[in-house]
Amino acid sequence: MRIDASEVLWFEQHELSLRELEELSGLPHRLIVELLECGAIAPLAAAGTEARFGAAALRTARTAGRLRADFELNVEALVLALGLLERVADLEAQLRELRARQPQPIR
Amino acid sequence: MKYKDYYASLGLERGASEEQIKKAYRRLARKYHPDVSKEAGAEEKFKEIAEAYQTLKDPEKRAAYDQLGSHAAGQEFQPPPNWREQFGETPFSAEDLDLSDLFAHLHAGGGQGRRGGRMSMPGHDYEIAVAITIEEAFHGTQIDLDLNMPEYDAEGRLRRVPHVFKARIPKGATDGQRLRLPGKGGKGLNGGRDGDLYLNISLRPHPLYRASGHDLYLDLPLAPWEAVLGTSVELPTPGGTVRLKVPPGTQAGRQLRLPNRGLPKPKEGQGDLYALVQIVVPSVVSEAERELYRKLSGDSAFDPRAHFTVETGHAN
Repeated sequence: MRIDASEVLWFEQHELSLRELEELSGLPHRLIVELLECGAIAPLAAAGTEARFGAAALRTARTAGRLRADFELNVEALVLALGLLERVADLEAQLRELRARQPQPIR
Repeated sequence: MKYKDYYASLGLERGASEEQIKKAYRRLARKYHPDVSKEAGAEEKFKEIAEAYQTLKDPEKRAAYDQLGSHAAGQEFQPPPNWREQFGETPFSAEDLDLSDLFAHLHAGGGQGRRGGRMSMPGHDYEIAVAITIEEAFHGTQIDLDLNMPEYDAEGRLRRVPHVFKARIPKGATDGQRLRLPGKGGKGLNGGRDGDLYLNISLRPHPLYRASGHDLYLDLPLAPWEAVLGTSVELPTPGGTVRLKVPPGTQAGRQLRLPNRGLPKPKEGQGDLYALVQIVVPSVVSEAERELYRKLSGDSAFDPRAHFTVETGHAN
């Protein structure tokens, strides 16, 4: 048994290069490029010559990896599924906000 | 090693056809895949289904699995004596292993792809759900994690090794955020990078606050006279009590915003806290109070439903 005190944690705003995104998501280069081309994965606003990616891109890429492995999806189906999942996430965030804004019944 | 009944996991008989295995998997994956399902325990359930499918869909792995014989699920068992040789398996110590480890490492390319080969493999990534309180999100916290990971020991034998982590969750976390602990996942093989550990953060429900992103919402009940006359109240916030001035004539439903009193954001800045005004009435009143209400009712010209008359075209 080992005790590891993990002091450094990566937070949501960490930026990744395309290479790191590939490595961390385990997706093949060609597929990442295809997902980029159709907008399923978006780089952060252009900050220089090299594209940088945020946590949202990594999340999408990892989801894509899982869906591809578990459902044997082709690129078209993957893009569709990722788009729908993004909408679900948006709607859930809205729902959370509305629920937070909703006063609770008086006890 | 504990036996797992992969056929039962997929709801199948042992003689099921490849087609039946595939169909059963699709049906169950649709229901339990953690990216799609909101069912409680979906993640665990899907792991079980995926593990069963990974083994049964591959004819070689399925044959190897069938050779293990049929045992009751959860029963301790040992693979038959010649099993390992027959299926080109890497050495392992069966007591410490999970059945899935056997099959995950079984087929790095049949006989010739034994683990002594040069193939570099990245370590496994782990994702773990972590629920924290709003106070913990506000101040940051430390959590203990206990993970069993399959690993090769110095002699190249595969076994499960418990890993205990203390992980710091810095302030700034909120619902749906993820933290990554680089290199804290499974060990990479032959120079492959170590896997990562991802913590998926969620906030536990709180009796006072409700979170939306880094903003917090809090109900602020006022007595009718407080709402009319205005008042000053002590408001609990995760950072400590603050005094809030409620202006005269405050309506129910109004949101009083306290800037930078919500959850801290990861880099800098802080969400806001909103006090949602509710007007509440006492359920028990004394005779003296009742008399005051009666007097107020007689003296007041206030008509809270004046707009009914306007909107319905002077129907009454």
